[in-house]
Amino acid sequence: MTLESPESTASRAPQSAAIPAIQVQGVDFSYGDKQVLKDVTLDVPSNQVVAFIGPSGCGKTTLLRCFNRMNDLVPGARVTKGSIVIEGANIADRAIDPVQLRRHVGMVFQKYNPFPRSIYDNVAYGPRTLGEKNRAKLDEVVERSLRRAALWDEVKDRLHDIATGLSGGQQQRLCIARTMAVDPEIILMDEPCSALDPMATARVEELILSLREHYTIVIVTHNMQQATRVSDRTAFFYLGEMVEYDTTRKIFENPVNKRTLDYISGRFG
Amino acid sequence: MHSDTPHILREFDQAFGALRAEVIAMAGQARLNLERAMQGLLERDLDRCKAVVADDDEVDDAELRIDRIGMETLVRFHPVASDLRLVITSMKVAANLERISDHAVNIAKRARKMLTRPECPEVTFIEPLYALADQQVRDALSAYTDRNAELGQSLQLRDKELDRMHKRLIATFSARLEEGGEKTEDYLHLIFVARSLERIGDLAVNIGEDAVYLDSARDIRHEKVRVVAEDNGE
Repeated sequence: MTLESPESTASRAPQSAAIPAIQVQGVDFSYGDKQVLKDVTLDVPSNQVVAFIGPSGCGKTTLLRCFNRMNDLVPGARVTKGSIVIEGANIADRAIDPVQLRRHVGMVFQKYNPFPRSIYDNVAYGPRTLGEKNRAKLDEVVERSLRRAALWDEVKDRLHDIATGLSGGQQQRLCIARTMAVDPEIILMDEPCSALDPMATARVEELILSLREHYTIVIVTHNMQQATRVSDRTAFFYLGEMVEYDTTRKIFENPVNKRTLDYISGRFG
Repeated sequence: MHSDTPHILREFDQAFGALRAEVIAMAGQARLNLERAMQGLLERDLDRCKAVVADDDEVDDAELRIDRIGMETLVRFHPVASDLRLVITSMKVAANLERISDHAVNIAKRARKMLTRPECPEVTFIEPLYALADQQVRDALSAYTDRNAELGQSLQLRDKELDRMHKRLIATFSARLEEGGEKTEDYLHLIFVARSLERIGDLAVNIGEDAVYLDSARDIRHEKVRVVAEDNGE
């Protein structure tokens, strides 16, 4: 279990493709008395992009937030059955430190949310919180993260300008850079483009595809075309159940389950 | 898999209904052209031959309409899965129907030339080939409209019989051509008619393959070619 280690793992060896980055086994989840996930089982392969799709309230965002224990912040919310294994550890186990977990499993939200500080400070925030004080190392992390987020060329001459002065698409890519600055293995994205225009969406989608080389990505999206463009595998959720999970091509060309077909083709009434 | 559940957007179902209706209407016109061309040939009916040539424009127009509706549907609704397959196959079926109608025109033009000459009794040799080609076209269109992959795939095998029949006819007419005489030109026309019917059979196979893709998302085109290539270690 490496979740306890605060060391930077920038040069770590890539995970074996055979070992899934996330293993979800028979998970039930409830908010108080209300069960919102029912017996969900799926593996998220390393270095792939997996899309979660389904109508509002189907449980896809709840499952995404389970992966870095964001639901801990909701009173009464808990995994009531099953396991979620990341790097060999069941992260539903209360003994796991959620702060350490979130360093390994980063998250990008629907609405971009940079701190009202400089571009540099936003990206350096995570490493500084982890104790990094060496200016040269911080500079290196900031540049690497911004380059991976395809933002470096646009902001390199104004790193100390306030981040909220950037365009919406740039702010979202800055948030992705901020997430990458602590070098996570997994990045969760909750409708990352829903507040962006088509051009900014295209830049973020291009970024997601390029990040697959370094990270495992799970994305929740209501945009079917986005799921087809960026993801390798797609899971369809409905009323708390995972109805179908397969390669994105299979899901959108010839799904096995009629509920999947009806949803992706716009026949849910 | 295909769903009969109505789409949330009524316009979506209307657009797809219009697309299917256009293909079915075009298929009816293409088959009518083929039928009239063969009647013109077999019954020495000049008017029918002329009608085929004149009405081919309607089939061409139908192909353009189907492509336009298909493109609009893709742009407006971004269909996926069986809906996407319906748009793609409808446009491909339309292209094959247009070529079937072109072959009907070829047959009608050959018939028109033969009508200027004394009657050639051997024209009836063509009838079984026409019957089989027409059956193939009908089954191909049923496979498309009923989303029947099994029927669609069966056309590949039955096309072999049509090919064999075509070869026998060509051999017969070629032998008579070599003998010479005043019917030489007729035999030449009949060879081209037989060739058109054989090509119509191939086009029906194409539609059958599209029907398989529509129904089951399986692409069976060139499957035999691939198997042979693998057997040869290529």
